[in-house]
Amino acid sequence: MNSVSPSAAQYVGGVMQDELVEGRRQQQPPEQQGSFSLSRPAQTSDPSKEATGEPDEMDKLKAKLMSAWNNVKYGWTVKSKTSFNKISPVIVLGHSYLLNSEDEVERFRLAFVSRIWLTYRREFPQLEGSTWTTDCGWGCMLRSGQMLLAQGLVVHLMPRDWTWPDAQPLTDVDFEVFRPRSPARAGGVPIPSFGSPRRPSTPEKTLPRDQAPKCSQKKRPECTRDRQAEPIHHKLVTWFGDQPPAPFGVHQLVGIGKSSGKKAGDWYGPSVVAHILRKAVAKTSVLHNLAVYVAQDCTVYKEDVVRLCDLSLSHNPSDPSSQAWKSVIILVPVRLGGEALNPSYIECVKNILKLECCIGIIGGKPKHSLYFIGFQDEQLLYLDPHYCQPVVDVTQANFSLESFHCSSPKKMPFNRMDPSCTIGFYASNKKDFESLCSAVSVALSSTKEKYPIFTFVEGQGQDYGLEGHSSNHSGPAAHILPPGKLGMSNNRRNSDEFVFL
Amino acid sequence: MPPFDKTQLQNKPFKLRKSFATRKQEVAGIRSKFPNKIPVIIERYEREKYLPPLDKTKFLVPHELTMTQFVAIIRNRMALLPTQAFYLLINNSGLASMSLTMAQVYKDHQDDDGFLYMTYASQEIFGHV
Repeated sequence: MNSVSPSAAQYVGGVMQDELVEGRRQQQPPEQQGSFSLSRPAQTSDPSKEATGEPDEMDKLKAKLMSAWNNVKYGWTVKSKTSFNKISPVIVLGHSYLLNSEDEVERFRLAFVSRIWLTYRREFPQLEGSTWTTDCGWGCMLRSGQMLLAQGLVVHLMPRDWTWPDAQPLTDVDFEVFRPRSPARAGGVPIPSFGSPRRPSTPEKTLPRDQAPKCSQKKRPECTRDRQAEPIHHKLVTWFGDQPPAPFGVHQLVGIGKSSGKKAGDWYGPSVVAHILRKAVAKTSVLHNLAVYVAQDCTVYKEDVVRLCDLSLSHNPSDPSSQAWKSVIILVPVRLGGEALNPSYIECVKNILKLECCIGIIGGKPKHSLYFIGFQDEQLLYLDPHYCQPVVDVTQANFSLESFHCSSPKKMPFNRMDPSCTIGFYASNKKDFESLCSAVSVALSSTKEKYPIFTFVEGQGQDYGLEGHSSNHSGPAAHILPPGKLGMSNNRRNSDEFVFL
Repeated sequence: MPPFDKTQLQNKPFKLRKSFATRKQEVAGIRSKFPNKIPVIIERYEREKYLPPLDKTKFLVPHELTMTQFVAIIRNRMALLPTQAFYLLINNSGLASMSLTMAQVYKDHQDDDGFLYMTYASQEIFGHV
């Protein structure tokens, strides 16, 4: 099976020929690998494109070089293994895995590889009003946003705790001193976790011992159910295809971003992307039972969420077929510090990622967007969109899903996290929303900082004067105190006067 | 880099423009005249690229004003759209809860000189040149 591990495929610019690369890589020093796509015999490349003639070959070569360069440039420079500590739990979107046994590693693998991974793509249809046929180099925040939405849709549409039956094996990972077949470990004696004093508050979903998979996930009881959900999985990925009609594809998102003053080729921020996602979900006809709410000024107005979700308040209250309550994705754009992340928020970010209702965080390192889905110790676990893959035609029946899942988990230290990010949550119904509010509030109150990073309040935004202020300039009249009244000299600069609110 | 503008060049951060003694004196003066108002310094984050500069730095704010109302007033002065990202960071590091009153924030975070310092910023953008 072809694995789409970025490290395996990077040297051919994302063309999935990993066995081939694998073979070559053994023999070649790393410095020469970048030129591999050049020296590769022509017949090993996609045979369907063979007949296109000389000039095209040159372009393709250029494209391959560019994309090899992009892949080097955009983060996959060094093929390095990610080490996981097996004595402290790794958290992935509200689930905890203590990687000291095969079973747990297997559960972690399924949890990680089943996440939908959306990356830079090239050679897609030109973006309207531009010459761009790739988002390499600029679209990373859009891709992170797509991954966040995709996770929301997985929770929304797929069976509970769904995992992908065809999930690839993990690549480029180390579990410290982990030897699955070591006789000393044969009994799977769990090492008590002392890495993290606080156990996650969410219940762990450990399989009963007798049902636990031995070495093949095919024995999992959910397997049949998950296999049956494959058509939905496929459909879900098509919505993110790089074609103009795809409701959450880059073409749609860039188009929607135009109303926020963004265009193809621009860089995007996590807050702008949150609003683009909200509009994309509101616009599409493929989802009827889902809404997206974006918090303003670090505040979730519960009544505004209710008005968005409670269908009996708006249209067709008499229509018995319409469900009473829409599911909701809640996006909270925040800024967790000035130049760098305020370290006192780290604990809070961890607690949020421990919640089952959390669907991840879009942010990144400075200038480099990532989709954060968990953490271990002092490191965030992420999916990285900075990997340029050729476009996949998702209109083809049974297109391959492999390039939409990542088998190589990566981590980065919390202190490198950019303070600008958007946190995502999902609630399927009213009761879910209520428990989300209380669970998130508890997680938020854990900060060492005096105040939580955002709050839930009753009522609507307009009750708090938000609408009023922006529309009619009402509110406390602000006037400038005439200079001199305070006994200050009259020649003081204008900006030195106090404004009375 | 922020767009070139003169006010930015003229205006070093408030704390650097004035000595501690001057600032303290200023607070004492204004507090004695307006005991019901809180002296607040609002400045643009030095690397902010999108939000406009504010014409004023010093604000006298009623105790009972909430952060929500305060933010709404500042947003309004800058004519921002509701969907535009705008964050007030206390002492350039922490966010303040919107439900707090200015008096509460002042009590917890006033500077030694008696002012309450806040920085406003939007969000960073991501990509590679």
